[in-house]
Amino acid sequence: MPLPEIVARATGLASGAGGKALARLQHVRLPGVGQASVTDDPRTAARRWRVVTVLTDPEQLATTTPGPLAAFGARLEVRVTPAPGDRGAELAARFRGPVGEEEIGDLRAALRESKALVEVGEVLRVDPQPHGHRPNTPQGAALEGMTEAAPKEGVL
Amino acid sequence: MRAATWTGVNEVSVETVPDPQLLNDHDVIVKVGKTTSCGSDLHLIGGYIPFMRAGDVLGHEFMGEVVEVGRGVRDRKVGDRVVVNSFIACGNCWYCKQELYSLCDNGNPNPGITEGLWGQSPGGCFGYSHAVGGFAGSHAEFVRVPYADVGSFVIPEEVSDLRALFASDAVATGWMGAELAGTKPGDTVAVWGAGGVGQMAARAAMLLGAEKVVVIDRLPERLAQVREHVGAEVIDYSTTDVLAELREWTGGRGPDVCIEAVGMEAHSTGAAGVYDQVKQQLRLQTDRPTAAREAIMACRKGGSVFVLGVFAAAVDKFPLGALMNKGLTLRGAQVHGQRFMPRILEHMSRGELVTEHLATHVMPLEQAPRGYQLFKDKEDGCVRAVFEP
Repeated sequence: MPLPEIVARATGLASGAGGKALARLQHVRLPGVGQASVTDDPRTAARRWRVVTVLTDPEQLATTTPGPLAAFGARLEVRVTPAPGDRGAELAARFRGPVGEEEIGDLRAALRESKALVEVGEVLRVDPQPHGHRPNTPQGAALEGMTEAAPKEGVL
Repeated sequence: MRAATWTGVNEVSVETVPDPQLLNDHDVIVKVGKTTSCGSDLHLIGGYIPFMRAGDVLGHEFMGEVVEVGRGVRDRKVGDRVVVNSFIACGNCWYCKQELYSLCDNGNPNPGITEGLWGQSPGGCFGYSHAVGGFAGSHAEFVRVPYADVGSFVIPEEVSDLRALFASDAVATGWMGAELAGTKPGDTVAVWGAGGVGQMAARAAMLLGAEKVVVIDRLPERLAQVREHVGAEVIDYSTTDVLAELREWTGGRGPDVCIEAVGMEAHSTGAAGVYDQVKQQLRLQTDRPTAAREAIMACRKGGSVFVLGVFAAAVDKFPLGALMNKGLTLRGAQVHGQRFMPRILEHMSRGELVTEHLATHVMPLEQAPRGYQLFKDKEDGCVRAVFEP
């Protein structure tokens, strides 16, 4: 196989691996590593409420489900409760039925977007950003895979 | 436009890149006037923070002129001469309302990376890797500034570009360390590191009323700057036993406030320095915490230690026993600059905070690779290399 093709294949694999590595990180029990679920079995983890605290009036938030969460329709349970200490509202959501990691990732992103829309009025964008030449390397592709997955990953 | 980019470990280039665009309603575009290297850039450039993609635009400490304004921006207009804080914060979340701006919930579009690393995500930062947002940096002709009403500040007429530049990060970070460590009149304060941030932490401590302030470093030109421009005392750690000197200097008590302004690539003398270097190079620890350890050991009982230097993850031989048994308060943060910059600009306009001396090397942006080399190797007395696009 010619070298460029080998590099291209390695780069493609690395991009996927970067995203997966980030997803795995949230489930590895290592000191100093943030974890979404460590000892939960996947079914229990999938049933957990995913929660963000939004600095807004809880009663107002309870009357209007933010667009990114509303888009899931009846598949989602949504709960709004007052946060202690004038911290606003705890906006929680979970799927009614069994789901996989991908759907949970979509829910994480939707909760973060909902919070930003309520608090700021818009979701912060980062692309496109000015950048110089990006050589096609496996390390670069792994980081791009990781960055692409980052809005949907984390401890939420 | 032209921009200085990271192109690989210990490689900086100047390339032609696309101009930035307004992406959100609260954005402005700033034509960069001056943008400076910062010690924390060296961690990125050296590959210690492995979330840089080749081609990323560097730089997070800058000033310039507003040339384009998003439709949601209320307080900035085209033509404003502004200095911009290095951290990106929305101004509306609970953390911003507590004036903990670098902890903003809505400033980092890539929270999955930092939540994995640290359990929670801080805000975003210009030119400081994809872990904190992947925002293009300021070592360029133009830069997009999100949440511009919150993070940019109009520079008073009487403050020069070069003085205002350092309000962006070095002064704001130093001020934060001195203030949030609880410095009060009559205190003794020790600062580790005589770079821009360390010098400004010392100056802030003096303005907050500290009675005695000392800065610890090994580079003679930086120690000379501390004496001449900051007015603090100095300790050269390469020739002096720091802990013994500090005990003698404080009547045996230890400093009330200890500020670490060194970060993850601390140098040190003796076996401890070799130990940390070896462990870091073998990736058995991510950071070299020499100054942080020393600050904890030096601090008086019940005193306060503030970590301003940038650390990535885990360190070894951390003196938790000393921290607990001496009843210390340990605190750290990336810069909550929006909280301190108005006050800093006032001090600058009154001539109480001077920073021009930090800019030892001012050069065109095209010379950024050379500037970083000088800065990294501390050649020719370089304290900060400042670039003019």
